[in-house]
Amino acid sequence: MAVQERRRVLVRRYSLFERVVHWAVAVTFVYLMLSGLALFWPPFFWLAQVLGGPTLVRIMHPIVGIAFIVALLVMLAMWAKDMVLDRLDIEWLKAAPKYAAGQEEGIPESGRFNAGQKLLFYLQVVAGILLLLSGIVLWFPTQFPAGLRQVSFIVHDLFAIAAIGALILHVYMGLFYIRGSLQGMVEGVVSRAWARAHHGRWYRQVEGTSAVIEEGHD
Amino acid sequence: MAFEPLAVKAVSASVTPPPGIKNVPEVIKLIDVSSCIGCKACEVACQEWNDLPANVNRPFFGSYQTLPDLDWNFWQLIKFNEVQRDGRFIWTLTKYQCMHCGDPGCLRACPAPGAIVQYANGIVDFVQENCIGCGFCITGCPFDVPRLSPSTGKVYKCTLCSDRVSAGLEPACVKACPTKCLSFGTKDQMLAQANYRVEQLKAIGYDKAAVYNPPGVGGTHAVYVLPYGDSPEIYGLPRNPSVSFVDVWKGGLRWLGNLVVFGGILGAVLHYLRFGPRRVPEEEPVPAGPTPRPTEPVPGDNG
Repeated sequence: MAVQERRRVLVRRYSLFERVVHWAVAVTFVYLMLSGLALFWPPFFWLAQVLGGPTLVRIMHPIVGIAFIVALLVMLAMWAKDMVLDRLDIEWLKAAPKYAAGQEEGIPESGRFNAGQKLLFYLQVVAGILLLLSGIVLWFPTQFPAGLRQVSFIVHDLFAIAAIGALILHVYMGLFYIRGSLQGMVEGVVSRAWARAHHGRWYRQVEGTSAVIEEGHD
Repeated sequence: MAFEPLAVKAVSASVTPPPGIKNVPEVIKLIDVSSCIGCKACEVACQEWNDLPANVNRPFFGSYQTLPDLDWNFWQLIKFNEVQRDGRFIWTLTKYQCMHCGDPGCLRACPAPGAIVQYANGIVDFVQENCIGCGFCITGCPFDVPRLSPSTGKVYKCTLCSDRVSAGLEPACVKACPTKCLSFGTKDQMLAQANYRVEQLKAIGYDKAAVYNPPGVGGTHAVYVLPYGDSPEIYGLPRNPSVSFVDVWKGGLRWLGNLVVFGGILGAVLHYLRFGPRRVPEEEPVPAGPTPRPTEPVPGDNG
């Protein structure tokens, strides 16, 4: 290598384990969303054909649901301490409209996750637990009374809608709006500039540790 | 059962209109509870015509009823309800089966296109070929009729002998009834007969006699004459069956879902067009050289 070669400074953001857990949650969620939508609204029924046929989808949806919940609980254990909302997060939420409008000024620095990510995480965990409980009732309709089944349908649909809405926002932020995020969740690293700009408090914590690496060195 | 596309009035989970063009009168099976003697000939006829196995090797459960409840291979049942009224014991022998609702909750609940159809004559039929076994119809039904077979994973219920009716015959249960408790005919004929029978019952002292044809489900195509019409519960029939839950489930929730999914995607696209991607300017590249090797542990790194 030429000595003059210029290198970017990278920061390790997600370990391999964290990425595996995240993508396990993501893949199972997407299957559950597509198969669920197929049974939710007839114009989406073709999704069931794409996923192997409607009866197979009916059988697989709850089984994949169990896998999703297991992955989600591992994620909860893994990130719980990073997801605690603090005073600066409240300030961040107040400044969220500025953040959404692309402004740089007046937005408090975030820790490892910003307040929006934390709220999304809590929403997915709460929705996941309620979807599990209502889903068990719908999985075995002959084992539960009609009233409980009706409540379960409403709960299951409402929290699936909430979770899908949150997913649309999450995918938009991660893939399109906040450039450089995807690299963190795929390769595990982000640029130092990205870390400073989006998670300033977190960057200062990891500054000077082995999390900061230069390309070509590790 | 016998699927007749030209007579199909409504199809489950269908986005396009049903294929039916036949102009046929609506039919009703009239059940005059006052003249049922509990002989169970209708049960036998149903099992026989539909080639369903007899599943009666169960322990005695304290009743003359054949089985405690309907089953996936047992589509109609005489309920031997033992009740008290005006200080007297009454045995309300009540034939129970699919009611073939005018506004079938099962059909509206069903997510599988073509798994439940409603014919122009009012018969609601399950098409097991298209059934995916989700059991949504069980929750959509206000009469607790559909039954899931653990062996096939499909739901089954009374077809009102749609195969016989399409060939101009009466349902098997009606044919077998020895007391004319069961009648079958056009809606107009049967409702007139029901009202006439109610007047007869009133004349002999059953002043609460009434026709059971609940409007909350759009009327039914199995209609009862009840001697104690003010309390359908003693016959094991719900007082005000309705499909209002299905309205919320398949109406409001669907539109909320569409709003969130399509509104969310549209919102994201518009936001991207207006505010574009949020990029962080690259820092000055670091010249090549040895990197100091840090030693501290990495906070937030579990791997």
